[in-house]
Amino acid sequence: MSPSLDSYVLLSAALFAIGFLGVLVRRNTLVIYMCLELMLVASTLALVAFSRFNGTEAGDVFVFFILTVAAAEVAVGLAIIVALFRARQTVQVDELDLLKK
Amino acid sequence: MDPSNLQELAAGNTWTAIWPELSLGCLALLLLVLETLLPRFIHGKIQTFSIAGQVFILAALLLDLHTPYHESFNGLLVQSSAGQAMRVFFLLSSIMVSLLARASLWKHRVSKVEFHHIVLVVSAAMMLLVQSRNFVMLFVSLETVTVGLYILVSYYRSSARTLEAGLKYLVMGSLSSGLLLFGIVLLYGVAGSASLPGRSSDAMQYDELARFLAANPHNFLAAAGIALVLSGVAFKIGAFPFQIWIPDVYQGAPTPVTALLAVASKAAGFVVLLGLVGEAFAPYAWLVVPILTFMAAATILFGNLAALKQHNVKRLIGLSGVSHAGFILLAVVSVPRVPMAVGAVYFYLFAYLIASFAVFGVMTVLAGHDDSEQEIGDYSGLSRESPFLAGVLACGLGSLAGIPPFVGFMGKLFVFVAAFKAGHYGLLLVAIAGVVISIYYYFGWIRAAYFNDEPLASPEIARRARDGAGRLLAIALAALAASSIVFGLYQGPLGAWVSLR
Repeated sequence: MSPSLDSYVLLSAALFAIGFLGVLVRRNTLVIYMCLELMLVASTLALVAFSRFNGTEAGDVFVFFILTVAAAEVAVGLAIIVALFRARQTVQVDELDLLKK
Repeated sequence: MDPSNLQELAAGNTWTAIWPELSLGCLALLLLVLETLLPRFIHGKIQTFSIAGQVFILAALLLDLHTPYHESFNGLLVQSSAGQAMRVFFLLSSIMVSLLARASLWKHRVSKVEFHHIVLVVSAAMMLLVQSRNFVMLFVSLETVTVGLYILVSYYRSSARTLEAGLKYLVMGSLSSGLLLFGIVLLYGVAGSASLPGRSSDAMQYDELARFLAANPHNFLAAAGIALVLSGVAFKIGAFPFQIWIPDVYQGAPTPVTALLAVASKAAGFVVLLGLVGEAFAPYAWLVVPILTFMAAATILFGNLAALKQHNVKRLIGLSGVSHAGFILLAVVSVPRVPMAVGAVYFYLFAYLIASFAVFGVMTVLAGHDDSEQEIGDYSGLSRESPFLAGVLACGLGSLAGIPPFVGFMGKLFVFVAAFKAGHYGLLLVAIAGVVISIYYYFGWIRAAYFNDEPLASPEIARRARDGAGRLLAIALAALAASSIVFGLYQGPLGAWVSLR
């Protein structure tokens, strides 16, 4: 028995919710960043499932664009996190408070 | 899909329709080539070359504003007179950002040419963004803008403050992109499902999606998708409750980048929002209008009240920008009932461009090495040291506050008239209260510059005020100050275009 469209969509919604809550709750920048990537992957999974079950092809093409964009985002994002760690010796969100007044 | 079909599709790509974007991209690449080829001591000239190139493209665009195309790239992009106006807008803003960068980057040990390169690429991507009528195109160009801005915000990579701002922008930007993307995917999935009437095989296209939404006026998943897309866009324009990143990021980012974020990135967000509200989501006005009405009221109140307590001018301008976003939202909300509101949005954006860059120009000239520390107190006695800079500042702030005869007044007037015609009376009252509050903090700043008898806070700032802006930047600032008065008194074809719609 193959899984139905609903189960794919539910799985991707669950992944998206985990990612979103993780961004809000977690305090370590790297974990937050992983959660952000999880949100993108959840969207990709839903896109592929919709595209496969509905027989529309625009979604498959979109997946490639999302992967490319995610790769660019990770490259820039990790560079910023590494530079910040060099400057502050920490990546904990609570300790990054120079801009609060 | 068979190959002959692909060939047919490729034949529909009208590359000449996007010549301004292409030439900006080529100019950006040319800058990098020049940096490798030319000897180090004339690298400063490359910045001037970049500005000259942009002025040339702007002149070519202004010479023939009429575009012969309507749709290009098989409906991915739609050319219109509003799109042409926004091309001019983004060129003006990138020229101003390049001028500001030329005046401030030398204070830091960072690569100069790459900064200009990224500004050009981001501007070209914004032009494509506002013309896109397809969600794939929208997402890709939006991400090009966002990733470029991640780099620019954290450009002073030896400053811990700048990097912190960069990280905050990175997390918030990615989060909003994630929300937007999931919303798009939900809409695409619902619109493609075989069991619903009006099924569309290409729901990434705005008009196809609108047709599907009109056939299913109360679908839950579609409504959830629309709400997600709207919150993603609200992050970009800094509308309540998604404005939390604005003060920190504006303070920590290099001042030219703050200007780019405040003016161009926000304007791009608003034009995208107009396209969504007016076209793709038009059948769901029952959902979109209440959400945006709440956002507009909360944004105006929050921006103005939070700005009251600020002493740092970059945070102040950020929070006042939040309240301006609220005013523009007021016009966007009126769009479904009053078509003229679209013109009011464009006029307000241009007024905001003129006023903001006048203020940012003065800020850039006066900023020291660490430009995240700029207090209102630093401006005391500015009119005695440099009447020119104080005059430009007064024109910019007066226009932001919406005092006649400045252009900001006309911008607010058009927005309020649109809201009045659409019958949003409660929202209009909130907006007027917001204007009254905003006059208080704008005048606190002007008072510091004009009516303060104390000497300047530090001799360093006094020296920078006396040195003044470089020649190019001074000309640009004078032009901005003059146009803020000229367009306030006479709107000409712009005003006619606005009121005709």
